[in-house]
Amino acid sequence: MKKFDPKKCAYLFIFWEESQATLVGETAANFSQVMMMFGFAVIATAPALLISRMLSPRRRSNPVKFLPMECGQVPQGEGRTHFMMQYYAYVLMFVVFDVMAIFLYAWGSTILNLPRTATLPIIAFLAIMFAAMAFALYQAKRRNIW
Amino acid sequence: MSVIAPKFRLGYFIKALLDNIFWAVVLLTLAGIPAIMILLFYIDLPIIDGQILTPFLAFTWMTHPEMSVPLVKAFMQTDFFRIAAFPGFGFGALLAAGVIFVERKMLAKLQLRVGPFYCGKVEGILQLMSDGIKLLTKEIIIPAKADKPIFWVAPLLFVGTAAAFVSLIPVAPKTVVADIDVGLLAVFAIIGFFPIITVLSSWSANSKYPFIGGIRALHQMISFEIPLILSLLGVVILTGTLNLSEIVESQATYWWIAFLPVGAIVFFIAMLAELERIPFDLPEAESEIVAGWLTEFSGMMYGLVQLGSYLKLYAFAGLFVVLFLGGWQGPMVWPPFPEEIVTEGITMGPVTAQIPGLPLFSQEMLNGTLWFILKTAAVIFFILLPRGVFPRIRIDLLLHVGWYRLIGLSFVNIFIALGLLYAGVLGPEGIL
Repeated sequence: MKKFDPKKCAYLFIFWEESQATLVGETAANFSQVMMMFGFAVIATAPALLISRMLSPRRRSNPVKFLPMECGQVPQGEGRTHFMMQYYAYVLMFVVFDVMAIFLYAWGSTILNLPRTATLPIIAFLAIMFAAMAFALYQAKRRNIW
Repeated sequence: MSVIAPKFRLGYFIKALLDNIFWAVVLLTLAGIPAIMILLFYIDLPIIDGQILTPFLAFTWMTHPEMSVPLVKAFMQTDFFRIAAFPGFGFGALLAAGVIFVERKMLAKLQLRVGPFYCGKVEGILQLMSDGIKLLTKEIIIPAKADKPIFWVAPLLFVGTAAAFVSLIPVAPKTVVADIDVGLLAVFAIIGFFPIITVLSSWSANSKYPFIGGIRALHQMISFEIPLILSLLGVVILTGTLNLSEIVESQATYWWIAFLPVGAIVFFIAMLAELERIPFDLPEAESEIVAGWLTEFSGMMYGLVQLGSYLKLYAFAGLFVVLFLGGWQGPMVWPPFPEEIVTEGITMGPVTAQIPGLPLFSQEMLNGTLWFILKTAAVIFFILLPRGVFPRIRIDLLLHVGWYRLIGLSFVNIFIALGLLYAGVLGPEGIL
């Protein structure tokens, strides 16, 4: 068996050169409980579906029963169709401004350690973000172009 | 009173139950017990006090209080207990069940209905159980041409994601499933999965009403995610940390709702929208689009989606308490553990049992849990209340509220936080 060579494996760890203390794996391992909770919930509730499948009646006599629900009418056309995505502009805005909002957290969580002058560039960033958001909202309101 | 369906036979039902029990016992004896035998054959059993710890010996020790109490205490520190029972899934599911019960009674009171009153004689206490059995015995109908794997998996994913959200909420000091340095960012990451699951399930159903509901859910969750994220930035600026436990510890003297009421209100409104509750229940608008994205779910699949949504409700209420209402902080009201039990043992009639290591929970933990539950119940009450009072709002008004008013208010909140910090009221040299 080959011996573990840290220098060869160094490219696996982003922080290897700066500090030998924190490996990427250790940081990611903090989240293992979240994933375990997810897995536990799935494993603990999946039997409910199985038991229900075993207990409940299953009659496949009438094909109408398996039609999609349309309030008693016989459904026409496909359920998955082309559609007009109204208010699409807001979805586009979300893609941009959600990332920007998360960027603000990098500043907000370290503000107690930063010099006060560091707030000015962030105010400028907020101003740019506000101006862009105002323009995007103005465009989103113009229903005739969407 | 509803009439029992004429095709229902109690005998068939009992036979189905007995059949299932029979197959479970057969599978356990044919596969489970041999598997345990094989496992025990290959595992080196530990030697304790010169004795090999066989399963029989382990079970004998478990009934002995001097052995079992430390074992129970050690078990309560394990990840499995935390995930399955106390701050995790069992606790959350229990609170969710309580919320469902209280919601039905309270809405009935608000709307002057008698409400579900009959099951179990006392205030309809067995209503939940009867609901569960009803959902369990209903047939699961999957629409033709639906994308079956995704359609089956969507409720499970919904419950799992809600449970992952619950795992981040600290209930008492050092009582949290996942204590992450960037807990708040993890919360945002988990919230971001809900619209994806909703759209997946609605698209896979191959039906029109779920599809409309899914698109509505997408718009709603997306537009209220940005005010939700921005309204919490004020708390992060004042505490300088993203760890939820540390945020609670920073509120020992003052709760952040006293300094950041604007952020709290914005967060509360965005929370209602993320939870799809009235007045923002457009994705499930039952008077317009049947049941929205839940239309094609039947039987236990619907039950699982409901369980997931109430787990999510508990998690959001807990997050509000943690960020703005001081989490587990509160005056010590829990009575201290009596010393005589440790020194003299418990006397029950003629028997006196000396049990070392008895206080299973510390006084701080019980007190913190009590305050956390009380505050969470208060927040949940305010989440439930609009359902009996408000109408539903239109989708363009909803988007307008989200994008124009709430984002503006959350920026106001950020500047209030910055002002408090730079004026020296709060922060390193301030009053906290």
